[in-house]
Parts: sequence; C-alpha cells; structure tokens
Amino acid sequence: MSRSKSAYWIWMGLLGVAILAGLVAAFQLFTKGHYLFNANDVLMWSLPLGVYIYLALTSTGLTLLASLPLVFGIQKYEPLAKRLVFLAIATLVGAFVSIGLELGNVWHMFYIMLSPNLSSPIWWMGFIYSVELVVLAVKFWRLHVGDWHSPLGKVLGHASFLAAIVAPLMIGSVFGLTESRVTYFGPVMSIYCLMMAILSGAALCLFYNLVLARIGGSGLSESIYAIQDDMARIFTWAMGLVIVFTLVKVAIESATVIPDFLNYHKYAQIFGGIGNLNTEVILGLLLPFVLMAIPSIRSTDAGRMLASGLVLVGTLAMHMEILLAGQSRPIGPKAEQYPDYIQYFPSIYEWLVMLLAVAVALLLYTLGERYLKLEAAPEH
Amino acid sequence: MPRYAMVIDLQRCVGCGSCSISCRSENNVPEGIYWSNKITETSGTFPNVRYHYIPTLCNHCDNAPCVRGCPTQAMHKLENGITMHDPDKCIGCKYCEFNCPYGVIYFNWRKPHPFWRQQDALIEGGTSSPAEEAKKAGGKVIPYYNPERAETLPGIRPKGVVEKCTFCDHRVKKGLLPRCVEACPADARIFGDISNPNSQVSKLLGKFRPFRLREQLGTDPHVFYIRDFNPAHYQPTKGGV
Ligand code: SF4
Ligand code: SF4
Repeated sequence: MSRSKSAYWIWMGLLGVAILAGLVAAFQLFTKGHYLFNANDVLMWSLPLGVYIYLALTSTGLTLLASLPLVFGIQKYEPLAKRLVFLAIATLVGAFVSIGLELGNVWHMFYIMLSPNLSSPIWWMGFIYSVELVVLAVKFWRLHVGDWHSPLGKVLGHASFLAAIVAPLMIGSVFGLTESRVTYFGPVMSIYCLMMAILSGAALCLFYNLVLARIGGSGLSESIYAIQDDMARIFTWAMGLVIVFTLVKVAIESATVIPDFLNYHKYAQIFGGIGNLNTEVILGLLLPFVLMAIPSIRSTDAGRMLASGLVLVGTLAMHMEILLAGQSRPIGPKAEQYPDYIQYFPSIYEWLVMLLAVAVALLLYTLGERYLKLEAAPEH
Repeated sequence: MPRYAMVIDLQRCVGCGSCSISCRSENNVPEGIYWSNKITETSGTFPNVRYHYIPTLCNHCDNAPCVRGCPTQAMHKLENGITMHDPDKCIGCKYCEFNCPYGVIYFNWRKPHPFWRQQDALIEGGTSSPAEEAKKAGGKVIPYYNPERAETLPGIRPKGVVEKCTFCDHRVKKGLLPRCVEACPADARIFGDISNPNSQVSKLLGKFRPFRLREQLGTDPHVFYIRDFNPAHYQPTKGGV
C-alpha cells in the first residue's frame, strides 16, 4: 500500500472511532437523559448548542461565499463553487447532529411542521436551515450533473443565498429577543451572527484549501491559487468587521451601569483575558488580524493557515463565551437552589457530541473529495 | 370565559412553605423541580438586617415569552389565561426555560423520581426497595402518586421535556381551587377571575396597590402581590445630619 493510501485508511479509522464513540454517547443520552451533560436549570444550553451555532453559522458563511460565483456571477470563483456548496452541506449536517443530541426529545421534531409557531425564532431557525439543507443538496446535484446556468440552478442559488442571509439573523434573534436577558444585546446579536458566519466560513474555506493542497502533495491548483488571495482578503475584512463590532460591544459593556451588564461582565471572561478583552478575542481575532496585516506573513501559506486556524478555534470560543456568560446566574427563585454563579466545564458526553458532529462533517468532506469531483467548474 | 389570576398577600404569608409541599404532592413534582417556590431577599447590613420572602409560581403572563418562543406550540395559552404545556409536542429545546424571566420552568434532565425507581433494598432481605415500597402503596412510580394530575397532563412528565405550574388547571376545571391556595393555612393566596369586577381578586387589587415581578418587561404577569409582611414599629423621627 502506498503511503498516501495508508494515511487515508488511518484517517478513516480515526473518524470511524470518533463516530462510534459519539454514537455510544448518543445512545446513552437517549436512554438515560441529558443529566449526562454538565448543564442544569440555570445554565441549560451548553457546549453542544455552542457547537451547533458555530457549525450552522460556518455553513452559512460557506454558502454566502459560494454565492459569489453562483448568484453574483463572478466567474473567477467558479472553481471553488461546487466544493463550497458541498462543504456547506456537510458542515450543516454536523450542526444538525449537534443540536439533535442537545434536544430533550428529538422524536417530537415533526411537530415543528405539524404545529408551527410563527412567532418563534427557534421555529424560523429550524425551518430555514432545513430548507437550506434541501436547497443546497439539490443545488449540489445540479452542479454535479454539470448544470451551472439553467434557470432552475439560478433559482436554487438565489434561494440558498437568501436563506443564508436570514438564517444567522434568526440564530441571533433566538438570543436577541430574550428580553429578560439584556446582555444578549437585542437586534445587534443578529448582525453579529451574520458577521461571525462570514468570518468562520471564510476561515474554513482558506484553511481547507491549504490543508487539501498539503494532503494532495501537489500544492494548490492554479485556478484555486489565484482565488486564495481574494479569499485571504475577504477573510481579513471579515475579521475587521467582527473586531469593530467586538470593540463596540466591549465599550458598551465597560461604560454601562445597568446591573445585568455589571454582573455579566463579572463573569464574562471564562477563558480569562487582559483588561476587558477576552483571551479568545485576543488570540482568535486580534492576533490573526495582525498576522494578516503583515504582508510577509499574509502572502505565505503557513501564515494564512495559522491565522485561519486561530480564527476557527477562536470563533467557537467566542460563541461559547457569549452563550455561557448570559446564563451563568440563576434567575428569580432558582437562586434558592443554585449558587450565585454557575461554574461550567463540559462533561465527557458533551465533548463526545462535539466530536461526533465534527467527525461526521469531516467524514463527509473526505468522501466528497474522493468521489464527487469537487473542483469541477463550467467550461466557458 | 374567566381570566384566572392570583393575589398573594405578603402580610398574611408566614413563609411556612405549605404551598410548595402541597403542590409537590398534587402534581407529582420530582426532586430538583419546583412549580411553587420562593425568592428570599435580604435587606440592610448587620445588625440592621431583615429578610423578605416572596412566594413564586408561574405568573401565567398574558404576553408570555415562553409561549411566544416555543417552536411547536407545546407551551400555549388556554382561553382562561392559564399558560399550559403539552409534553407530547415538546422537543425539549428548553427555549421556554431560557426565555421565562421568572425562573419557573424546569427541564426533566433524567427519568423523574430516580429514588423511587431504585430496585435495591437498603438491607438485602431486611427492607424493601423504594420501587417495591411505591408499588405496595399502590402508587405509580412514587408512593404518594396523585392520579388526578393525569387528567390533563401526564401524571409524571417524561424525561426530555420541561414542566411548570399550571395553576392546577385540572382542579380549576372541576371548580376547585389550585392546591396551593387551598393548602395555605394563612389564607395568603387568593385565586379568582380577574375579568369579573366582583371577584375577590378584583376587589383586593382595587383596595391595595399591587406589584408584580419584573413588570417593566411587559409580560403582564397574572400573579399579583399586595401588602408586606412587616410587623415592626419605629419611633417617629426626622433623622439627623
Ligand atoms: S412566568 Fe414564565 S413560564 Fe409562566 S407564563 Fe410567564 S414566562 Fe411563561
Ligand atoms: S422546551 Fe418544549 S415547551 Fe419549551 S420551548 Fe422547547 S418545545 Fe416548547
């Protein structure tokens, strides 16, 4: 067996073990219940929900990038389109795995359709992401059979783009509409989610292409190489946007005297930080931005890989920080039963849910690359 | 159709906890979950210090955030104003729990009443196991099981769904008062139809200045608090500089 072949099977073996472990955890969750998570009636949404938000938004970001060639007709990016659509599907499947294992009773999901509540942001979020998954799958099939420009293909492209704009706004409003938790920042949360989607999508696109080139051994193909520069630029701009947003948020949090915010602030640095800047913001946002601002680093593959890798970890940490800090204090009578502040570290089951979600996405990436000719582009 | 509401008279309330205990047995509420609960607040600094006790339950809000956010309408309003839950439709997303500004919704993280499900006896051959005990008493899972609860909700809610106070909808339907109201030895809980100007609740609300919890959120809670438990006196004084 050649070296690359054995590496492939080792990789598949690792994914297999991860998926198996995740399935065992899933079985335990279904039979025993979610007390296996380190969540409780104060801090009820934990790592699996953070992973869901992260993967779903990343998938959205990938869809938005795919829209550049597919909706806005930028031909230069066409060699990326099919792969991006596929990655968006695979990442969204990972997101669904994570939320599926977070829900107390996933079998009742059909009531989302039978008994819809149109005033619920969770309903809209579930609905739009389900539609998105179907549209992306059909779109991928059309691209796979070589249909790049038919009217149906165009409609699908536009539909997935629209869904990708609205979906992060819905995730944001799940939090932003919670009037009892002011620290989730109202409508601003929706804009934040949209920007984070573009950021983690761009980071994944950049990182993935570089890893792929390294695995392939032959470096980036010429057509992709030319696009990587632009992707690096989009990535840097997305970082800039999120930085501006984050600094405004930090400024508001530092200046306000609203008690909820003061309390929030006290607990908002789960991973530590310097002054009012959290560690994940420094290492996962500011540092990669600085790296990408230095021309000699920006232009190297290693520099891009480091920067996008940091952002991929950083954005997950940022979602977790926001998610946890807003739920770390008991509300009303729950203060009788719980301490003033809930300490949280994920249980092994929560880690396994994350592992399963990520491994499923990675398995799909791997199979896609092997069997689905992801670099196909139309003849012009 | 009546619109049910509750008035809690804090001057009458002695903080005995009867409401919570009777609620537990009426509704087969599992350990760790509280349909009826309390907030205790301390004010002042030692030695000038006292504590306040505010009994809590679901406020059966008119603009209930828990209802608005529930994706499947599992959490819903009844015509009589009660905020009701349907575990059959609940997907266990916990958004209602996240959304409720009053901390009165709980999730069933495990099969409820784990203690009474235990099959092992404390002393082998000497004592019976909790599960045997419950069975001997004729209960379902718990020896003190109240079958009447099952008239409108599963008697014991399954794991993976939320639960909360229902104003004892199953009793109200039959013309009975919620169990906590009936059990209160101090008559501190007054229940009734707020849409009827002659009901006891309406009369009390016109007589005393009521307050509600976190009113500024616009949820329109239907549990009202009147008066204050404070028998203390003090000498008239103008303070000093
Ligand atoms: S108190 Fe909470 S659970 Fe009850 S109706 Fe209001 S928001 Fe819903
Ligand atoms: S946990 Fe159940 S009742 Fe609560 S919002 Fe979700 S589906 Fe609705």
